[in-house]
Amino acid sequence: MENSLLLTYLILTPFIGSFLILFFKKGQEHLIRYTALAISTIAFIISVIIYFQFDSANAGFQFIDKFHWIKGLNIHYHVGIDGMSLLLVLLTTFLTPLTLVSSWSSIESKVKEFTFFFLMLEVGMLGVFISLDLFLFYVFWEAMLIPMYFIIGIWGGKERIYAAVKFFIYTMFGSLLMLVALIWLAVYAIGPLGYFTTNLIELYAVSPQIPIDIQTWMFIAFAFSFAIKVPVFPLHTWLPDAHVQAPTAGSVILAGVLLKMGTYGLLRFNLPLFPEVSVAAAPYISILAIIGIIYGALVSMVQTDIKKLVAYSSVSHLGFVVLGIFAMTQESIQGAIIQMVNHGLSTGALFLLVGIIYERTHTREISDYGGIAKLVPVFAFALMFASLSSVGLPGLNGFIGEFLILLGSFKSPVLGSWWFTVFAASGVIFAAVYLLWMYQRVVYGEVTNPKLNGLKDMNNREIFVLFPIFIFIVWIGIYPSTFLKVSDKSTAKVVKQMYNPEKINPVQMGLIQSTK
Amino acid sequence: MRDLIYLTVILPLLGFLINGIFGSKIKNEKLIGIIGSGVVGISFLIALGAFFETLALPLEQRQKIVSLFSWMVVGKLNVSFAFQVDQLSLVMALVVTGVGFIIHVYSIGYMHGDKGYWRFFSYMNLFIFAMMNLILADNFVLLFLGWEGVGLCSYLLIGFWYDRKFEKSTVAEASKKAFIVNRVGDFGFLLGMFLIFMTFGSLNFNEVFSRAVSFNVPAYVYGFIAIFLFIGATGKSAQIPLFVWLPDAMAGPTPVSALIHAATMVTAGVYMVARTSIIYASAPQIMMVIAIIGALTAFFAATIGIVQNDIKKVLAYSTVSQLGYMFLAMGVGAFSAGIFHVMTHAFFKALLFLAAGSVIHAMHEEQDIQKFGGLKKYMPRTHITFLIAALAISGIPPLSGFFSKDEILWFSFANSGLFLWIIGAGTAMMTAFYMFRLYILTFDGKERFGKDKHPHESPAVITIPLIVLAVLSVIGGFVGIPEVFSGEHGNQFHNWLAPIFKDADRKLAHFNLYSHSTEILLMVLSVVFAVSAIWFARYVYLKKPSIASDTAKRFKGLYNLLWNKYFVDEVYDAVIINPIVKTSKSFLWQIADNKIIDGVVNGTAKLIDIFSVNIRKLQNGVAQFYALVMVLGIVAAFFWIILSL
Amino acid sequence: MFNNYQEFWNLLPMIIIGAGIIISLIIEMYSKKSEVILPWFSILLFLAAGLHALFYIGDISIVLQNMLATGGNVNIFHAIFTLGAAVVTLLSIDYLKKYGIYFREYYIILQTSVLGMMLMAAAKDILVIFLGLELMSISFYILAGMNRKRLNANEASLKYFLLGAFATGFIVYGIALIYGAAHTTSIDFITSDFNLLSGNLLFVAGVLLFLIGFSFKIAAFPFHMWVPDVYEGAPTSVAALFSTGGKAAAFSAIIATLFALFNNGGQGNFFTPFLAVISVLSMFYGSIVAIAQDNIKRMLAYSSISHAGYLIIGLAAGNYDAVAGVIFYLAAYTFMNLGAFGMVALIEGKDETNLSINSYSGLGSKKPLLAALLALLMFSLAGIPPFAGFFGKYYIFIAAIKANLTWLAILGVISSAISVYFYIRIVVLMYFKTSDTEIGFEESNNYMLAIILSVLIVVLMGVFPGSFIDLVTKFI
Repeated sequence: MENSLLLTYLILTPFIGSFLILFFKKGQEHLIRYTALAISTIAFIISVIIYFQFDSANAGFQFIDKFHWIKGLNIHYHVGIDGMSLLLVLLTTFLTPLTLVSSWSSIESKVKEFTFFFLMLEVGMLGVFISLDLFLFYVFWEAMLIPMYFIIGIWGGKERIYAAVKFFIYTMFGSLLMLVALIWLAVYAIGPLGYFTTNLIELYAVSPQIPIDIQTWMFIAFAFSFAIKVPVFPLHTWLPDAHVQAPTAGSVILAGVLLKMGTYGLLRFNLPLFPEVSVAAAPYISILAIIGIIYGALVSMVQTDIKKLVAYSSVSHLGFVVLGIFAMTQESIQGAIIQMVNHGLSTGALFLLVGIIYERTHTREISDYGGIAKLVPVFAFALMFASLSSVGLPGLNGFIGEFLILLGSFKSPVLGSWWFTVFAASGVIFAAVYLLWMYQRVVYGEVTNPKLNGLKDMNNREIFVLFPIFIFIVWIGIYPSTFLKVSDKSTAKVVKQMYNPEKINPVQMGLIQSTK
Repeated sequence: MRDLIYLTVILPLLGFLINGIFGSKIKNEKLIGIIGSGVVGISFLIALGAFFETLALPLEQRQKIVSLFSWMVVGKLNVSFAFQVDQLSLVMALVVTGVGFIIHVYSIGYMHGDKGYWRFFSYMNLFIFAMMNLILADNFVLLFLGWEGVGLCSYLLIGFWYDRKFEKSTVAEASKKAFIVNRVGDFGFLLGMFLIFMTFGSLNFNEVFSRAVSFNVPAYVYGFIAIFLFIGATGKSAQIPLFVWLPDAMAGPTPVSALIHAATMVTAGVYMVARTSIIYASAPQIMMVIAIIGALTAFFAATIGIVQNDIKKVLAYSTVSQLGYMFLAMGVGAFSAGIFHVMTHAFFKALLFLAAGSVIHAMHEEQDIQKFGGLKKYMPRTHITFLIAALAISGIPPLSGFFSKDEILWFSFANSGLFLWIIGAGTAMMTAFYMFRLYILTFDGKERFGKDKHPHESPAVITIPLIVLAVLSVIGGFVGIPEVFSGEHGNQFHNWLAPIFKDADRKLAHFNLYSHSTEILLMVLSVVFAVSAIWFARYVYLKKPSIASDTAKRFKGLYNLLWNKYFVDEVYDAVIINPIVKTSKSFLWQIADNKIIDGVVNGTAKLIDIFSVNIRKLQNGVAQFYALVMVLGIVAAFFWIILSL
Repeated sequence: MFNNYQEFWNLLPMIIIGAGIIISLIIEMYSKKSEVILPWFSILLFLAAGLHALFYIGDISIVLQNMLATGGNVNIFHAIFTLGAAVVTLLSIDYLKKYGIYFREYYIILQTSVLGMMLMAAAKDILVIFLGLELMSISFYILAGMNRKRLNANEASLKYFLLGAFATGFIVYGIALIYGAAHTTSIDFITSDFNLLSGNLLFVAGVLLFLIGFSFKIAAFPFHMWVPDVYEGAPTSVAALFSTGGKAAAFSAIIATLFALFNNGGQGNFFTPFLAVISVLSMFYGSIVAIAQDNIKRMLAYSSISHAGYLIIGLAAGNYDAVAGVIFYLAAYTFMNLGAFGMVALIEGKDETNLSINSYSGLGSKKPLLAALLALLMFSLAGIPPFAGFFGKYYIFIAAIKANLTWLAILGVISSAISVYFYIRIVVLMYFKTSDTEIGFEESNNYMLAIILSVLIVVLMGVFPGSFIDLVTKFI
């Protein structure tokens, strides 16, 4: 399908929409909110159409649009998706309208600016997931920082400035190294290709021919910038600040989508561009990922601030994703992708819930709560549900991801040892510890804090925001095939590039001498 | 009927949804209760139908797989929501739905007037749903879904009265403990699954087990699989070292203790081991480990049970002890004997708990047996049924407990020698003792409760379930009369389950060295032990109550050790939990994260700042100095030129 | 004088300005309200010259006995100078009013300085470069001190003059050495036997001195010391010109003279190590010291130092992409900086108030449009896509990496990561901080027009750099 333009429409919708928003007057907050909702919903509908037209039997890129952008440097506006990006596109367009609605009560000042930045953010995120030109990708990747920076900085909490600047410069630093790497890569590709290009598909073909030591450097530069975004231990310290300071809507998108851009980058660029190096680096990165899983869980366990607790839990969850990617078995990579979506849903839901209760009590200290189950049963249920999904209870989405990741990494030939999985799986225990402990202290027990009396339960709007998320939490848990099948072929392709999949049958793993 | 087996899963789910969503609106308790127990009752009937249908079929057709839809299809992995109807799952299904139904009915009365009535029944149905998944699953992953699902329900139901205190801590604490300890087990279970998948390339029971027969897999792999899975079992079935959660689980309402923490969920581990018997049969050394752990658990739990004063606590430890018995059976390869005991135990232990519940009700939530006494004239039905159950668990023929327990003892002797038999028999003795201690202190002797208490017999909705269970506890054993008595038919229960375990049995190849006379001798011995234990209990607690207190005084240390459950909780807290929490808080978070890692990040910024502040001082506004700098620059440049030419 | 009409036509941009200067003098002498006419008249001149340069960019020729070149890059530079100057003039109108310095000669001297720049860009002979340089520099010295009443303006002017003269000295000496070695001052002749000469110490020393002299003009470390003081002292509108036109002119001269160096296969050149070193030093010095500044003019001064560093990366790389990159960067930088300085000039209150960056706090809510424009300029200066500043860097880095100077590119990105800090600090102040003190300044259409124009160019060059690049690359 050359130039089906669907993706272009998808990305133009919020882009044009955000400028429409600017035409509204001061007093028209409601109008602004509903328009933004409408715009983002249209974007979601378009992405759903894309889902249905998507041919999951095809491992390659689809819905490709390609136009000249900068002839002089052979840069194109070149977008397209495969199974791996489609799910993340859907996640983005799905979360954006919900998050917008969730912000209706929390964002009172500068609604216009907020909505503008938010839609711009959506443009950036979508752009990152659909770009097939490294330059275009980089532009989106960086441009997306600006709206997020403003969202944290203007509507954030007490420490917002520190958080915003830290977020901005930290991520900026990483991506600048990536910039050098991608130019370097393109320059090297001149040899085999004979011309300068940043076209990802062409670079896929030639990048493995680059001398291995130089590939290593490029790999490091790319991986570094993505690792900051993920964030991989020990590059994670910007995250708790950003998450805690950002307004609810910001945290949701930050956790729900932005972090995935890092893992997506690893999957889209590092693995296929530098397969040899990736295989060589897999154990080291997996170790970092596992440290992240356990470390994140332990640190989150002892947090006194609910939002910070959820923030650190992201470090732990994303560790699973990174492990899944670098285990490089189809099971694990499929798991990683579905886990990206899961984390977006469950952690997004958790942040929404924290925001909901924060709006009422204006405290995030766990010790200020206790026994609210009696006061706000619906909230209590919702929090339980979201926590369980995040804990990875079978039947809910979290389990599918973690299970596939661990299953795949256990037999991964590139890791080649059970120990990775053994340690990673311990995260499953810790997840239960910190979330249930938090839940116990917040929801169970008797009401001790008099301020809590007369606490209002979730209103219809808040329920309306969470309900769709919960639907998908169950859906993915019970019938993940809807989503797994989409990325099946693409991941299979990636795995094939990495190594000969025949390796993974147990005979070569030295487990079974011979089969009768 | 077998094709409808999925209804036994769906119906409870339906009940859960109905009560869960509309429960708060439904004001009528009866309706909620009827929905709740109705769905389970129907499930039971379906299971029963399936059972008889299967019974009518020839052996090779008795296994059937009812597949709903595929769940995960990734790479080699392909698991579906598919239920396996065979001899083993049917037995379990009957026990779960049957006993479950009775307990649901009982709850209608027991939970009367609780503000969370609807919540209770929805949770209970959810539990049945999860449990049915666990036992009907045709693959490990679905089994695991049930496995964690029952864990969740146990968490929810233990924490049902989430705002109450429980002993030193809170109900919520107890529920969390249960879930997390189970998670530790699940961690092992997961690893077991991964290794199975890696070895056999599948997670469906039939494929795995057939490949376990056909593949030539080194023993150590089986060993790892077996031990990993067994870790899971120790969590779920409260074996050493993970049994600590079960006694605390008594914080939940009594029907919960009866259903989940006595009759069904805690036996899941046993079921799982039986299900994967072929793998265990391929790892004999691990089976030995299991046998020993089972025996030790049985023994120590029993010793603790002797001194406890909380009626439910005693029963809890007795449950742990009986579960130990079942694992002893598994360990010595007496799989069907183990399952047999699962069944009979479900009957009499459920009965004991329900009766205890009835007593607690009558005594207005009092649970300390020292404050009971002489209740038999106030609540005759409860008294009788309790007595029957106590006799059954003590292994007095011809009650159900006798057959199952004795079979286990016999196999442990026959398959692995005297040592295990002695532990088993000793445990049996202690069981009889503390059971009758409990019975006597509660129903017999003089009344030790205050005038404010007016004990009374519970209503029919509570007593009828007791009676039904009592009947089952009496006759339940007759399905498994050992061939010593039944002659050439052999043990019916065995024959029924034989096809499931045939591969395992072939691998283990036990052949019985001992004659029937030995078997009978041992039987008599154990009965004698039991009777004497009962008599001793009567003597101590009825005739000479002073003895008890004196011994307690004389062996103060031992008594404290037992009273405090060997301080296991304390040890875990001190050795595992506290260190982890402390290091996480005071090192990982406050030092490693805030100081070191973030310190480096912010330090870099600081450093640049310092540079900047100092370097700017160069800019002193003096033109001469500026000129000087330029000149220096030029000089440097020329040096470079001269050097490089 | 002209061999034909065509030569005259090609030279028209310079002739327009030259004639304009004379006409302006006449206006200045005889018109009563010349301070109203002159600015618009010079804007007219600049536009005319600039547009002519752009439209007839294709007319490449060498005119006046190999003294001047026209067409191609020369015209692009001419366009940059003149259009930039037009914006500066637009800024000056109200700025001068604000300070009550209605010196009409201001505009005339502005024109002369631009003429000087144009000569430098067009020069085919080293002496012409010198001619242009002096014309420009001397005008600059005067402009710097334009605000006679102010002490620090005079100081700035004097410093600039002294150090500038110092630097010029080196250039003259360099030219002398080059002439001594090459026996000619014609750039073409020098380049043609460059490879012979490059072994000759005299020649190399000459070129080095020549480079150093220009390093002074482009404010590269360690020849940058004058920059902060002069920018701060000089009228803001003038500082805008120094930091844009002046820099661009110096680069144009270097490119014009050392173009030969760029012809040897893009693998760097003899001077690469020297250039690389000063580029790294300039980048880091600029971005690091800028952090400590709280006067926005000084901050921009340091930022211009670090930008000089990035541009020199291009010279060090010394290949075709480098030339194109440098030119693109210069164009982008010119308008970014004009916008920024324009904003400063606008917000700057009478007698130098509102120059501390803290006076920008809360601007976001007080003056949303201004704040948005300034924020955009800051992001562009910081090199964040999709603005012109980013693309300039991208292009320069391509050049550097093609010339195997990857390490230089890496240092470049690190320094720009540092520079992000002080650029977005302005944004922080404007949007995330609030101030109760009302900053008093009157907006005016001239300012807004100037600023919006430059922002527009910055955005267009960022989003659609294609056409401009084609323009640049076509004529290298």
